[in-house]
Amino acid sequence: MKSIHLFFLFVILALVQLWVPAQMIFERETAIREGVAYKFKTKPIDPSDPFKGKYIYLNYQNNAVKTLDTDWVVNSPIYVTFSTDSLGFGKVEEVSKSKPEHADYLKTKVTMYNARTKEVGFSFPFKEFYMNENKAYEAELAHRKAHRDTLSSHVTHALIYFYKGTGVLDNVFIDDIPIVDYIEK
Amino acid sequence: MKSKIIKELPDLVKHKVISEEIALKIRNYYDSKPTATTNHLFTIFGVLGSLLVGLGIILILAHNWDHFSRPLKTCFAFLPLIIGQIIVAYTILKKKNNTWKETAGLFLFLTIGSSIAMVSQIYNIPGNLNTYVLTWILLGMPLIYLLDSHSVALLHISFSTFYVLHFGYKYNSGINESWIYILLMVWMLPFYLKLLKYQPEGNLTSLYNWLFPLSFTLTLGTFFKSNDDLVYLSYMSLFGVFYGLGKLSILDNRKLRQNGYLIIGSLGIIIMLLLTSYNWRWDYNIDGMHLVEVYLTLFLIICNVLLLVFLHLKQRLQRFNMFHYIFLIYAILFFIGSSYNIAITILINILVLMLGVITIKIGTEQHHFGILNYGLVIITALIVCRFFDTDMSYVVRGLLFVCVGLGFFITNNIMAKRKRAIRELES
Repeated sequence: MKSIHLFFLFVILALVQLWVPAQMIFERETAIREGVAYKFKTKPIDPSDPFKGKYIYLNYQNNAVKTLDTDWVVNSPIYVTFSTDSLGFGKVEEVSKSKPEHADYLKTKVTMYNARTKEVGFSFPFKEFYMNENKAYEAELAHRKAHRDTLSSHVTHALIYFYKGTGVLDNVFIDDIPIVDYIEK
Repeated sequence: MKSKIIKELPDLVKHKVISEEIALKIRNYYDSKPTATTNHLFTIFGVLGSLLVGLGIILILAHNWDHFSRPLKTCFAFLPLIIGQIIVAYTILKKKNNTWKETAGLFLFLTIGSSIAMVSQIYNIPGNLNTYVLTWILLGMPLIYLLDSHSVALLHISFSTFYVLHFGYKYNSGINESWIYILLMVWMLPFYLKLLKYQPEGNLTSLYNWLFPLSFTLTLGTFFKSNDDLVYLSYMSLFGVFYGLGKLSILDNRKLRQNGYLIIGSLGIIIMLLLTSYNWRWDYNIDGMHLVEVYLTLFLIICNVLLLVFLHLKQRLQRFNMFHYIFLIYAILFFIGSSYNIAITILINILVLMLGVITIKIGTEQHHFGILNYGLVIITALIVCRFFDTDMSYVVRGLLFVCVGLGFFITNNIMAKRKRAIRELES
């Protein structure tokens, strides 16, 4: 094959190589710009990924809800909509198998269905908050310390934007201070 | 090699083994020959450098430079990828040599991974390693053909194997990953066949001859989710296919160490037989098998039969070699095994013994110490297995070990004497 043909084929490949990370960015940027933000209480711990670096793993409280449907299948898609409670934190409004009409919903997967309690469980696909490698463990310690010192008055929460099924984790806060700033205090 | 011969020349001339004129001709011949070794060295160092730089970039970006703004971090995510693409484009346009192709291809392959990882880090996109690795492989695999790059090809095989090993053996995992793995390996086929055709004796071809059977051996088990028993038959058939492939003229005419198919196939057959040489192993339950598992096993058995026919047509089965037919005997035993448990266990033990003896025979006929001792190792392994699960007295077991040990000494000694005699006759 002539090198000019090879070159054109490579240009197509290079564009695809650029398009994949670019559309990841575009999807997230749209969610942040157009989406609705909710705060969720969370508990961070500190693991690491060989390629992406250190992150804090966020445990969420509201990842199961009672439902009238009984035929939930594990790994099938589920649409979750949210509302805000009296303290300003997000809570699950309802779950359904079909796409809601408004845009601030999350599309995720069913993780379990308990026929006895009629509860359906789902995964939150925004459990990893990436941090500087020297700060991730400190963030976990800061969260633990804040809870030990003050019982219930200090809260760790994640700020998440929802737009057309995508949920983007924007930041994690302790006492409404971004976690990075909190550990630098 | 070249420098070794040239260094020897004055000594050979001095002892009148060759004349001055011949020495000069030899020197001129080597001087006029293009030095491929230097190019190989450049390529190896280029690939190593590229690998280190690429991995270094992944680690530096993984540090997470949180003082930079999101747009700046996004630029950093794309920068190595774009640099890699520019180098590859330059390599293609300027028709650069293999060193450039290997180095640029490998660097670009690694920067694809670093770029996706960095974007995931900036936007806190969660784990899902399987999508990440698969995207990485898919975006990198055309480089194998665009650059004719071995370094990318070797990474492609390694990543694909990692992909299916990591997800295929997980509890409750499906077999989608296993099928995707097969497609990824099929992508490599034209590249590999071209190598076998044009560079059958190349070192890299030998590396692929080992990598492919190793990869398939590691990953076959990921197809089996419901019935573990069928795995034995399936693996036996796979090793039979490897053995058959290893006996094809294109591979069998090479040195034994270049023929990974033959060695892995032969070892695999012996190991599978030894694993099923225990009485309790033949208490199979052939109910509840998934269709995919049955079809895959059938496919492997059919491949074995086709290979046998092909080898027969090419007259490569003139000397009886039991390794070729083990899959067939094993398949028959597998399906009647649960009814005649003890008889089949005894038969399997006899089969291993026969294979050991046949291997020793081949070793002595070919005056090959390696094959001879491999045969003895097969028999020893069988005795070791029986050592643990029979009620034989300690004295009998001890005597058996002494006999096999003496067998090692005597056969090797006889072989050494024969070889010496042949060498004397030749001289």
